[in-house]
Amino acid sequence: MDPHNPNPTPTDAPSPPAESAARLAALSLRGTRDLPPDFHTAEIHDLDDDDDDDDEGYLTAASRGGSSTSAWKEAPEGLHDDDKDGDDVSQPSPSSSGYAGERGSSLDDDPDPEPAQDWPRDKKHLHEDDASSSWRKRKKHFFILSNSGKPIYSRYGDEHKLAGFSATLQAIISFVENSGDHIKFVRAGKHQIVFLVKGPIYLVCISCTEESYEGLRGQLELMYGQLLLILTKSVNRCFEKNPRFDMATLLGGTDAVFQSLIHAFSWNPATFLHAYTCLPLAQSTRQAASAVLQDVADSGVLFVLLMCEHKVISLVGAQKATLHPDDILLLANFILSSESFRTSESFVPICLPRYNPMAYLHAYVHFFDEHTYVALLTTRSDAFYDLKDSRARIQNVLLKSNVLIEVQRSLHENALCVEDLPTDPSSQSASHPPESSRDMNSQSLSSEMAIGGPGGLWHFIYKSVYLDQFVSSEFPSPISNKKQQKRLYKAYQKLYASMHDKATGPHKTQYRRDEDYVLFCWITQDFELYAAFNPLADKTQAIKMCNRVCQWVRDLENEIFVYGESALSWQYHRCWGGI
Amino acid sequence: MGCSSSVPARSTGGLNTISNDSSPATDSKDLRAKLVLLGDSGVGKSCIVLRFVRGQFDPTSKVTVGASFLSQTLALEDSTIVKFEIWDTAGQERYAALAPLYYRGAAAAIVVYDITSPESFSKAQYWVKELQKHGSPGIVMVLVGNKADLHDNRSVSSQDAQDYAEKNNMFFIETSAKTADNINQLFEEIAKRLPRPTAS
Ligand SMILES: Nc1nc2c(ncn2[C@@H]2O[C@H](COP(=O)(O)OP(=O)(O)O)[C@@H](O)[C@H]2O)c(=O)[nH]1
Ligand SMILES: [Mg+2]
Repeated sequence: MDPHNPNPTPTDAPSPPAESAARLAALSLRGTRDLPPDFHTAEIHDLDDDDDDDDEGYLTAASRGGSSTSAWKEAPEGLHDDDKDGDDVSQPSPSSSGYAGERGSSLDDDPDPEPAQDWPRDKKHLHEDDASSSWRKRKKHFFILSNSGKPIYSRYGDEHKLAGFSATLQAIISFVENSGDHIKFVRAGKHQIVFLVKGPIYLVCISCTEESYEGLRGQLELMYGQLLLILTKSVNRCFEKNPRFDMATLLGGTDAVFQSLIHAFSWNPATFLHAYTCLPLAQSTRQAASAVLQDVADSGVLFVLLMCEHKVISLVGAQKATLHPDDILLLANFILSSESFRTSESFVPICLPRYNPMAYLHAYVHFFDEHTYVALLTTRSDAFYDLKDSRARIQNVLLKSNVLIEVQRSLHENALCVEDLPTDPSSQSASHPPESSRDMNSQSLSSEMAIGGPGGLWHFIYKSVYLDQFVSSEFPSPISNKKQQKRLYKAYQKLYASMHDKATGPHKTQYRRDEDYVLFCWITQDFELYAAFNPLADKTQAIKMCNRVCQWVRDLENEIFVYGESALSWQYHRCWGGI
Repeated sequence: MGCSSSVPARSTGGLNTISNDSSPATDSKDLRAKLVLLGDSGVGKSCIVLRFVRGQFDPTSKVTVGASFLSQTLALEDSTIVKFEIWDTAGQERYAALAPLYYRGAAAAIVVYDITSPESFSKAQYWVKELQKHGSPGIVMVLVGNKADLHDNRSVSSQDAQDYAEKNNMFFIETSAKTADNINQLFEEIAKRLPRPTAS
């Protein structure tokens, strides 16, 4: 396959399904080696409506053995792809200004801080500790502790009551660390314990959700990133001065930030795709916003982000500064989970861990309406009034160009629905006879199963590798409840992890069938496509639909992606062979 | 995706605090004053500001992050108009080192404690000392005992607070953001104490 023409379906004539299938089949495939061989379902009592307490789903079904998880053989020609690992993200390069490092270091100046207790702790189940059976039955725990065993954060229960448990975790990690080795994970029955050591800070996840080690480690990395966003890495110096330093107090009032991030692990694909998603908007609307953002960036602001909830409307960086998608995720999570940002304009020190983990930047945050907000980031601690003026300028343009109205409209209308997948997606569709009758009549589908898109397509996520952006479709009726959606995301995560497995990958395609759905993944130099079909979907049809989705996304790219610096879009267009 | 150097800091004529204009407004009847609220997290700083600026009290706690900026104009009886530019700080330990950013150049500071919490009263004293050391000279300082509606649980006596305030040249008042008790009085007192621009 020509790597520069990743779409096997030429725009002028749709290939016969069989041919596409053959081409895709020739790529490469991997089986189900990563499934735990001796996985057995254990009794798990749902305690409440928590994120991870309702998903024995996908893998349980797959490993019962009754279902057919099918796989194709490795491609004979053994096409080699660059190592495109999911966590192959560039090293953070510290900003040359190194502005706020000193400030960060003075965090430990105050000798006896008092814990802040004024945030709502209702989701945390504070009465619990490691002696409570309810605590022990939680499906997914997250802990952060110091290398001296002091608790810093726990998803459930009061950190202070978990000192003993924390010390145990510390003992396990230190035992291995001291022998010059690193502990990565431990499997105990249906539980997996994943460790991440970051200098004096230890992060641990204990889960029986059957997520992959890579997936859970990625989540711990994000937890650590969120911690850095709040405190910067210079917090490490506090531990150098005092190994028994109590870091929990420094995180006072940020519990909601971590809770919301953990929640995102089960609904936001950005947490495992390392890409961000945009709010669909007409090109001219987005351009109006981008132009004024660029103006503001040129006036000396480092980053300007205009966001609607967790979706980007536009973002601009000064000169060559670029934002890592993980930083966008963590910043948006921080802003959206801290209620006070919605009350009034704010000026807040934050650190972008991928940009410069050592230093604080200063963020001006303002909500234009319930969903839409702007974040202006600068290295200057005295910039508040300048940023306030810039915001007023941005607001003027947004109002004059109706951007805020369009944003509201998009929020409610512009979602990609698989039902809308064009039957002939090429831009010259007028010259081709419609094919809808043939596709819609897929014989293999019962009428009930036909709900969703053509060819049994239920859902897809498309990630553009060059743009670090993804789009995902709305959930159709067969996946309408939260539980089903979470289950599908877990399946995607699993797929992502196995596709990017360092030891055996990277892989180009994967096709899995189980009781719940047919899952399909296709990775090229330019994009990654994850798609879910109804479990009875025909493979040939499914592959054809994937090609259509890719074409559809490309037809819509000006509305669903944001193009930043000209350099970036130049590279992008060149790679697409001149669009 | 990587990143590269940050932008060189733009020269802004030597400003190094959050302050757009340290000199009083030209019209002698109009005053603009930067005001900062300091105090332990949870004592009710944000509620005091929102009561004053929006006339509301929202009992659901919304922890301040960093600092919030709000402004409100107050007309005094002598027809002076005071525009308060209010910095409501978070009061969390991690931002303690950054507090100077918010209080430097402030014309007035409100140091808040919770009358039901002795710890918050000691924390208030910490902030008073900090302001005496590093605040603008001549800064108007006010000590506020908030949550006065919770007098049944009082654990800081008014007399102790009054004595402390007098020793430190501060105005003292007890307020309730919940009932709005003394909130306007608090800001009027500050407005009255602000130095008037000297006619010249
Ligand atoms: N009873 C009572 N509660 C108050 C009063 N002011 C604030 N609170 C409560 O105290 C908590 C913390 O208030 P907040 O303004 O967020 O404190 P801050 O951290 O100092 O800004 C909230 O739950 C408020 O509802 C008051 O005057 N009376
Ligand atoms: Mg507050």
